[in-house]
Amino acid sequence: MTLELSGVRTAYAQFDFGPVGLTVADEVLAVLGPSGSGKTTLLSLIAGITSPDSGSIRIDGRELVGLPLEDRHVGMVFQEGALFPHMTARENIEYAATASDRVDELATLLELTDVLDRRPPTLSGGERQRVALARTLATDPDALLLDEPLSSLDAPIRTRLRDELHSLFNSIDIPVLYVTHDQRTATALGDRIAIVRDGDLKQVGSPSTVLTRPASRFVARFVGNENLFEGTVIDRTADGATVRVGDVQFQSHASGIDASTVTVCIHPSRVEVEAPSVSDGGRAVNTVTGTVTRWLNEGSEYRIEIESNAGSITLAASVSPPTFDRLALENGTEVTASIPRQSVHLIPERS
Amino acid sequence: MSTGSHPNRSGTDTFGLDWLSVALVLGGVLLLYYLVPMASLFLSVPAGDIVARLSNPAVVDSATTSLLSASISTVVATLFGLPLAYWLARTDGAVTKVVLAAVVLPLVLPPTVGGIVLLTVFGPGSPLGDAASAAGISLTRSLAGVVLAQTFVASPFVVVTAKAAFEGVDQTLEYASRSLGKSRLRTVRRVTLPLAGPGILAGVTLTFARAIGEFGATMMVSYYPRTMPVQIWVAFIELGLDNAYPVAILLVLIAAAALLILNTVASNPWE
Repeated sequence: MTLELSGVRTAYAQFDFGPVGLTVADEVLAVLGPSGSGKTTLLSLIAGITSPDSGSIRIDGRELVGLPLEDRHVGMVFQEGALFPHMTARENIEYAATASDRVDELATLLELTDVLDRRPPTLSGGERQRVALARTLATDPDALLLDEPLSSLDAPIRTRLRDELHSLFNSIDIPVLYVTHDQRTATALGDRIAIVRDGDLKQVGSPSTVLTRPASRFVARFVGNENLFEGTVIDRTADGATVRVGDVQFQSHASGIDASTVTVCIHPSRVEVEAPSVSDGGRAVNTVTGTVTRWLNEGSEYRIEIESNAGSITLAASVSPPTFDRLALENGTEVTASIPRQSVHLIPERS
Repeated sequence: MSTGSHPNRSGTDTFGLDWLSVALVLGGVLLLYYLVPMASLFLSVPAGDIVARLSNPAVVDSATTSLLSASISTVVATLFGLPLAYWLARTDGAVTKVVLAAVVLPLVLPPTVGGIVLLTVFGPGSPLGDAASAAGISLTRSLAGVVLAQTFVASPFVVVTAKAAFEGVDQTLEYASRSLGKSRLRTVRRVTLPLAGPGILAGVTLTFARAIGEFGATMMVSYYPRTMPVQIWVAFIELGLDNAYPVAILLVLIAAAALLILNTVASNPWE
């Protein structure tokens, strides 16, 4: 199945959505954006809750625009599950099921057999979302839309259900659109990520592309890419460019850069932190020698800030706990940070 | 900083009175004003006397007319009122406001004026009234007239209460149902109506209670056959207050039953 949007546009009093063009094959597209960016509008348009002013939405060539919700064969899992509170979990799934044996099949798949006779208000948040998912899948939809199904769950349950969703999505061959405002969920679940802002698609690409090669400063910031430095292009070669930021020079694989002033973008996870190198002649490329000025324990990793010795750059880096301990990092520790050439990304945009 | 004249944390001032107690005393006066006359009504006639007078043919006839007409009025009001309530609950805009105002109009209109308004449409000499009598149906001084008067005055209760009940059903649930491939009608039947049920029942109960107590518009449109409120009036005027008691007690009991329903199976809209 292929879901295809072209020129989909709708105008509200507060903001304009689109025009959006998008093709989703049998894959998971994570739709990532801040609240109010139009993520839910996108799902509403596909599901048929809202109608576009213009444009076309097709599944395998079948036009959906103009069809009422009930005739679209598009499954939607709503934010809080939207389970019918007067029906048990089983009745909720039965209500949707196209065949009666689907109920037990889905209950087994989603580990719901023990809670089938309970009503939604007595279910936990995770159970509710699983019932909602089972109910939607029971209709054998041509496409699956999920609107932040994990956002109201506690962290441990969220992680567990996210992993379950990951394997579930692998087992179904329909386009899946997964709306979230959480970058980790998007990168974990999405085969591709679409970044939405102000009703427009800003970038669509693989998780690693969106993380390390953001198309704009907005995308960079939104996916947690804090290292954005304005620099001057001092050399261009066939296979890359050299950019100067203060007293630091960065070499990048980026080609086809026309502007003389660009934004250097380096994802903190791609920065390697080591003990200060003695052989540093001060002109080394893609290295920053300086001192740690801040550090933050984020649980699975440390986030540190390194101020270059000349003070012209403050570089953020993610450091694994073993490295953090080995280097005995604290404020004032001198370190050398190096960035592989392929991780230096250039955005043709000034601050 | 604390001084003697300021209320302390529990809200008690220097006189040892807190506002909640004052509220209860003032409210209690009003509460007694409701309850004492009720008790007085039941105490003013010996119980045996009431039972004897209840078997009076005029009383039986009026009770039959009232129960029958109020039931029909409630069914008619619900049948036409629920779709209107649903429409009002699911649309928003200037037209919705105007329609809602029209629905509330009979609630604020004095019932006798309501009766006059109805007579201009259904009364003798009006095209509709004359057409109906030509067909052998009398729209005034008939059970049909009673139903017309009661429906006019009482139906807004079911519309307004059911509208609130429908609004209480999250529209996302309707979208969910329809995205599962169920039609609008099936969605309303299987999802919206069951969830709005207690609120709708409250509206139906209030409509029935209002219809059975209807006097003003009924007097104007259909003095005969006598409903219970009209019978009370006739008994009071012709035979004195004592003779109005039995039917009044019947109506109090029906009102009490309505309250019971409101506070048990239905969802009390004023709670």
